[in-house]
Amino acid sequence: MKFLIDLTVNDEAYQLEVEPQTTLLELLRNQLHLTGTKEGCGLGDCGACIVLVEGKPVNSCLMLAVDAKGREVVTIEALETNGQLHPLQQSFLEKGAVQCGFCTPAMILSAKSLLDKSPRAGEMEIKEALSGVLCRCGSYKKIIAAVLAAGGEKGERNEE
Amino acid sequence: MTNLYYEYPESLSVMKRLKPFAYFEPATLAEASKILIDQGSRAYLLAGGTDLLVRMKRGEIDLSALVNLKGIDGMNRIELDAETGLQIGALTTISSLEQSSLVRSAYPVLAEAAGILGSPPIRNLATLGGNIGRASPASDLAPALMVLMTRLLIDGPEGKKEFPLESIFSRPGKTTLNPGEVITSFFVPKMVVHSGAAYVRLGRRGGMDCALVGVAVLLNLSAKSGDVAEARIALASVAPVPIRARKAEAELLSGPLTEERIQKAATAAALESMPISDMRASASYRKEMVKVSTRRAIEQARTLAGEGNNK
Repeated sequence: MKFLIDLTVNDEAYQLEVEPQTTLLELLRNQLHLTGTKEGCGLGDCGACIVLVEGKPVNSCLMLAVDAKGREVVTIEALETNGQLHPLQQSFLEKGAVQCGFCTPAMILSAKSLLDKSPRAGEMEIKEALSGVLCRCGSYKKIIAAVLAAGGEKGERNEE
Repeated sequence: MTNLYYEYPESLSVMKRLKPFAYFEPATLAEASKILIDQGSRAYLLAGGTDLLVRMKRGEIDLSALVNLKGIDGMNRIELDAETGLQIGALTTISSLEQSSLVRSAYPVLAEAAGILGSPPIRNLATLGGNIGRASPASDLAPALMVLMTRLLIDGPEGKKEFPLESIFSRPGKTTLNPGEVITSFFVPKMVVHSGAAYVRLGRRGGMDCALVGVAVLLNLSAKSGDVAEARIALASVAPVPIRARKAEAELLSGPLTEERIQKAATAAALESMPISDMRASASYRKEMVKVSTRRAIEQARTLAGEGNNK
């Protein structure tokens, strides 16, 4: 049996038919072809599938698509606007915070959710906010440096 | 041709896709209760899903129907009554609990325990009702709620019921709830003045970890003498279900909080614990750590209760 749901993904409204056993991750990747969101463990441990729902990071592999009904979902695809990378994406590039890249979308979205609330977040807050994502390349130092730099820049701009 | 790909051993294989199930979105508790009874023992309630979906994917549970509670209004509210206490809806997420200014100011131990569970994205999905209804021996919320004398509000075929939180646990993963019964909310009585509560959780790493030992302690110190007027100690991860360490509590009661009494209480708590050995730690190590964690939790609770005295 299929269920009809309305939801917003990256500022676009959709009406989709979903099976109850479909996860939000499967809906994003298979139905909307937004493959920036990754599937790692599928069990909520690795965090590669993190997307923002109402601005908050969640493991999309552990959320049913039917539970996204009426919600606003943001994936990594929404961060680049008019050919301009998001400051976090730019910062990841500049700091070399990407090796294999599999955790990068989740790292950037987790960081975005933090910086949207506290643009001047310090290292401890950043570590806590990113603690739901594993980076098997071990790029944590550069990832944290990239988030610190993006936050700082944004903070300074806000003060101007 | 040789297969160049590594094949995942069958025993470790995980189904990343969920098998089909009948799905229900009741609008009222009465409806949810009826569906649960009609569907039988293979029907499960869905709250946050962070534990249920994992067990479904691992094939650990044989589920035929899922009853999603999120269509029922008003089950995710946190309301403080300054006279009586705090009412927390069962669908309140762990992160709302962690971030709620009401919880942080009136029951800091609860916000602290909430902030340790899983990871931030897990906490954004997981709910308090799910954490307790799962009846995991390793619940991070249960010890803190138990020392706060939390009561559970249940709705079911026989109407509303209320009982102490600790009596919901029957054995690992099993509650004492009857068919068709649903946890609707938690009532945390107002903390008395001059009391302090602390939660000490020992894990192997800083985040995304399951507790090896979890100890919550609440102390109420007499304003005049500083003697212990009330002591409550709860343990998680070291028994089939979260337990109160009542002999340890008795060691602290009616007298000054001396080093000797703290040590005696810590030893009593270790004796009351019944840990198992598993991949995370041995039973003997866990017992020893109950002693250490209980002592630390008592010391922290004493400081917090003392701070209350200075106000």
